[in-house]
This record gives sequence, structure tokens and C-alpha cells, in this order.
Amino acid sequence: MSTLRIGLVSFAHTHATSYARALLATPGVEVLATDPDHAERAGESGGPAMARELGLDYAEDLETLLAWRPDAVVICSENTRHRSYTERCAAAGAHVLCEKPLATSVADAEAMVAACEAAGVFLMVAFPVRFHPAFAALRDAVAAGDLGTVAAVSGTNNGKLPAGRAWFTDPALAGGGAMTDHTVHVADLMDALLDGVPPVGVYAQANRLLHPEAAVETGGLVSIEYANGVVATVDCSWSKPDDYPTWGGLTLHVVGSEGQADLDAFGDRVDGFTTGRGQTWLSYGEDLDALLVAELVDALRTGRRPQPDGAVGVRTTRVVEAAYASARSGQPVRLDP
Amino acid sequence: MHLQAWLALGADVRVYSHASAARLVAEVGGGTVVDSLEEALDGATIADVVTPTFTHADLVGSAAEAGCQVICEKPLARSVAQAHQMVAACEAAGVRLYPAHVVRFFPEYAAAHAHVAAGGVGTVAVQRFSRAGSRPERDWFADRALSGGIVADQMIHDLDIARWTAGDVTRVFAREVSTPDGEARRGVVSAQVVLTHAGGALSYVTGTWAAPGSEFRTKFEIAGTDGLVHHDSARHAALRIDGGSAGASRGLLPGGSFMESPYLTQLRELALACTGGPEPRVTARDGVEAVRLAEAAAMSLETGRAIDLEDVR
Repeated sequence: MSTLRIGLVSFAHTHATSYARALLATPGVEVLATDPDHAERAGESGGPAMARELGLDYAEDLETLLAWRPDAVVICSENTRHRSYTERCAAAGAHVLCEKPLATSVADAEAMVAACEAAGVFLMVAFPVRFHPAFAALRDAVAAGDLGTVAAVSGTNNGKLPAGRAWFTDPALAGGGAMTDHTVHVADLMDALLDGVPPVGVYAQANRLLHPEAAVETGGLVSIEYANGVVATVDCSWSKPDDYPTWGGLTLHVVGSEGQADLDAFGDRVDGFTTGRGQTWLSYGEDLDALLVAELVDALRTGRRPQPDGAVGVRTTRVVEAAYASARSGQPVRLDP
Repeated sequence: MHLQAWLALGADVRVYSHASAARLVAEVGGGTVVDSLEEALDGATIADVVTPTFTHADLVGSAAEAGCQVICEKPLARSVAQAHQMVAACEAAGVRLYPAHVVRFFPEYAAAHAHVAAGGVGTVAVQRFSRAGSRPERDWFADRALSGGIVADQMIHDLDIARWTAGDVTRVFAREVSTPDGEARRGVVSAQVVLTHAGGALSYVTGTWAAPGSEFRTKFEIAGTDGLVHHDSARHAALRIDGGSAGASRGLLPGGSFMESPYLTQLRELALACTGGPEPRVTARDGVEAVRLAEAAAMSLETGRAIDLEDVR
């Protein structure tokens, strides 16, 4: 088994920590990290100190990391920097796993797909919930017709206001708030359930009642119509209180002609109560980030193109871009299939 | 359920129906069958209109003319214009009109509303309501022209609750999808509505007439600036009995509530209000506004557009 070299680009997104742990735990993988923009995140963890904490080798800048000739990179930068990092890494011949959302505009997302195609590398998007075995079972059940014809889906991806990283609420770096951060997970699961059937209509409303000090929307509902007539609504709000016992959660309710299904992606847990600390929340579910990293590593070793790919990233970005247009106009937006 | 509740409240009940009055009285074991509407209304304190929606306006008008206080099953009417006429008729006759939005009397909704109204979640920001059960068999429910379809008939419960907890609504957007009818049974219907409230809060309301035999299930979550509350009827049953595969055939229901019937709570509170008691938790205006929300949703389904509520009169 040859050794794979995987570069970790930026610690801006906190998922970098779990990807780093999963990569370090994978046999035959060498990891080199760089966090070139960490000086901008004053007072937040990052840079060589964070690399040391995680047990990662560190490169001062992207050029040094790319000169190491990584087979692939995992990009965990701020959202609006995904494109430039992807383009530079692809040009250097590295396959790309990019944190979600793939981009903050369809134009950027399409440019990233084009850049990777031109460079002959694959582009994968970090949608870890797709790898949940319960979701795989739901997808199989839908594909086998166990629910009959899928008609309607209600999805939730609620969380706390992201803590420890100020850029999440900086429109220039995040591209938006809860609607940017949380619509795409459910949109990706819908994409997988419907096998890539494109969205054709989006209606969305957003508000800033929660955490009104934030410069971005913190509450939102996104209603999506797909080309096959399926409708879905996503609650993407950062509506979990700051002292909620976990970061948040993701649920799907699927209505079919022959039955309904409920998915609670973080339902594998023990609940309890601890005096003075409130609710106890003991998750024992799969490490979804590790499953995502395993897909990346397997794709590199077998030479196949992993899913979810850049095309999914573009489709989910189209939903978000249309959601903002709709929230601005107050009317639904049509998308060409 | 209304007849049972009236009898439990000690009322004398005259039952008039085109079809099944005698069977109802026999089944419930109380009430007196009468042969005409006039006979039913003559001298009655309260008229309780528990008929299909398309008959409400005429019957409420007759009841008001007869000088009865009026309780009317939701939805109050098929249109806002009709609902306004009913309100005007009752005002002209000097009688009260209360819509039977019974979900306000279900203890889980009442408890959540009281908590929210007391500031328990701070300012409401985003809420979700869901209601799903088997598709009703009676024909008029399925006929959109008569019942108004799933939005006006079933989802109107949660449209009313959403307004109860987050205030008046300014904009409504709706989608509805159904699967084709089969030879043996009808397809499923699911509707999804997004409400924007005057205070900025957002509501997602979904209603489903699911495959036959589906367990009835309601869910809600109300999230605000200081916390959230949620409920799932499938997870909060005081008793569950598992009778194995034979249990269903022996009539064992999967879950049950041991609270007072919300229909009884409702009619007690409304009857008291009809006889000079305190204002109940639901008013004629709430009934009109619920019809307005349903009508806006229907307009949205028809046009594919979001509807400004002030355009629905």
C-alpha cells in the first residue's frame, strides 16, 4: 500500500479538527497542514499552535504545502475563499475535498468544477450526513420503493450560532448566515434521495430575530420544488440556544404514497441529567466525518471519483443562491432544470 | 365527540341531521333526535354547528336569527368573505360566534402556548408544526370545492396555532403535492406552508393525509431568543401497549391520552362564554383569520406566488 499525502488547507472551519483526527487515524496517510490566514482570526485557535495540538506537521503557506506534492487536499477555509484555494490546489494536481457549502455563488461553484476538470482532478464536497448508515438505509428503502412514490420532505438542520469562529457571521467571508451554513446539508440529502433530480423552484424567508447582533440572517425557511414534483421545506435556523447540550441536529421526514420515514441523524444517543450541568447528551452514533474521510481515501486508492461531487455542490449552491434571491424579493424563484 | 362532551356537561341536546342523527344518538346514548332545523334551534341557548364546511354559513345564519349563541366547527367558512358575513349576521342578531379550533384545547398546545405567552422562549423566531394521519374516507373531505382540501380542513388547525403563538401573519406561501389515486384507494396528499409573521417570526406548517393505517401524529417546535419547546405525539404517550402482531386485531391502540377530552374542555369554556362567562381563548376573529390564512394558501397554490395577507379580504 503506497503512502497517500493529504494536505489540510486552513483551520478556519472547525471541522478541520475532526478531519485531521480521521486522517491521522488512517493507515498509510501522511498529513501536512497549513493555515495561512490564521493571523486574521485574532484570538481564535489556528496556525502552527493548533497544528501542534492536533499532532499535524505544518507548512507556513500554501506554496510550501503544494510543493510537497499532495495527492489531495482538504479545504477548510472560510466559504468565500473556497474557490481560490480549490483553483490553486487543482492547478498543482491535487484532488480536492472542499468543506461545504462548496461556494457562495453558483458562478464560483461552476468555476471550481471547471478548474478541477481542466486539471484532471476530482472535486468532492464535505457533506458527511450522506454517509450516515441510517441515511443509506433510507436511501435504499426509497430506491426499493418501500415508501412508494416520494411526494414531500420536511428537513431540519438547526444549530447554535457557530461559536469560536467569528467569520461565520461575517458576510464577506461566510457569504451569509444560517441559510448558507445549513440549507445545503438537507439539499445534499435530497439530491441523494432523488438521485440528482434538479430543483426547479425555491421560496425562502429569513429573519434576524435570534442573535440580532449578528450581521447575517440567523433564522430561515427554504421551500424547494424539484423537477419531478417533489416538494421539500428546510428549516435552516441557528435556533438551538447557546447552552443547548449539543451543537444541533439534522432530521428528515419523508412522505411517500405508501408510507412515511423519519430520520434523526443524531438520534443515536443516551439522554440524561446531571446536577448543576443540566441535560446530559451522550452520542454514540457513527463518526460521520471519519466516514467522509474514508470515502476520500478509498477514492484516492482505487482511482474512482468520489461522491458527493462538484455537481452536487453546484446544485446545492443553486438552491442557496435562489433562496437569497427569493428572501429578498418575497416571491418564489424559478430555476432552469 | 361534541355530543359526548355536551352530555358530560349536563346539557339538554337536540340533534338535527340530514342523515345520521338517530344513529349518533343511539351510539352516544343521549340527546334527542328532532326532525327539523327549526325544532333544533327553537329556544336553544347554544347552537353547535358540526356540519361540513360548505353548510356553515347558512346554518350559522339560521341559528343567529333564532337568537342562539353559536359555536361553529372549523373552518368557520369556505372564504373570508363568507366568514365576515357570518360574523356580521351574529353581530346583527346580538349573539356570540365561536369557532371550534379544538387544537387550542389540546393540553400539549395549551401548555406550549401558555409557556410562550409567558416569555418562556423569549421572542418567537422560527416555529414548525406538522400533522399527519390517514386520508379521511368521507367523500366531502376529499372534495376541495366542499372542504377546501387539506389546507382548509386539516392544516387550518396549525395555521391557527402558528398565529396564536407568533401573532398575525403578513405573507403566505404554499405548496401541495399528491400521489395518484389507485384502484383500491386514494393517493396521499401533503401540503407545506411558510408563514411570515408581522413581528418577523417564520412558521413552517405541514399537513399530510398519509397512506391508510398510518398512525395519527402531530409535532411542533417553537424556537425563540431565549429557548425552545417541542413536542412529538409519537414520543409522549402516557401509556403504550404492545399486543404483538395479534394486538391490532384485538383493537389495541398503540398509544392513548388520559387527559380530559379537549372537545369537552373546549365546549365547557365556550359554553361558559356563551352564558356570560369570561372571554375564551378563541374568538370569532381568530376563526376569520384562520380562514384568511387558508384562503391565502389556496391562492398561493393557484398562482405559485407568495400572497400578501392584506390582499385577502
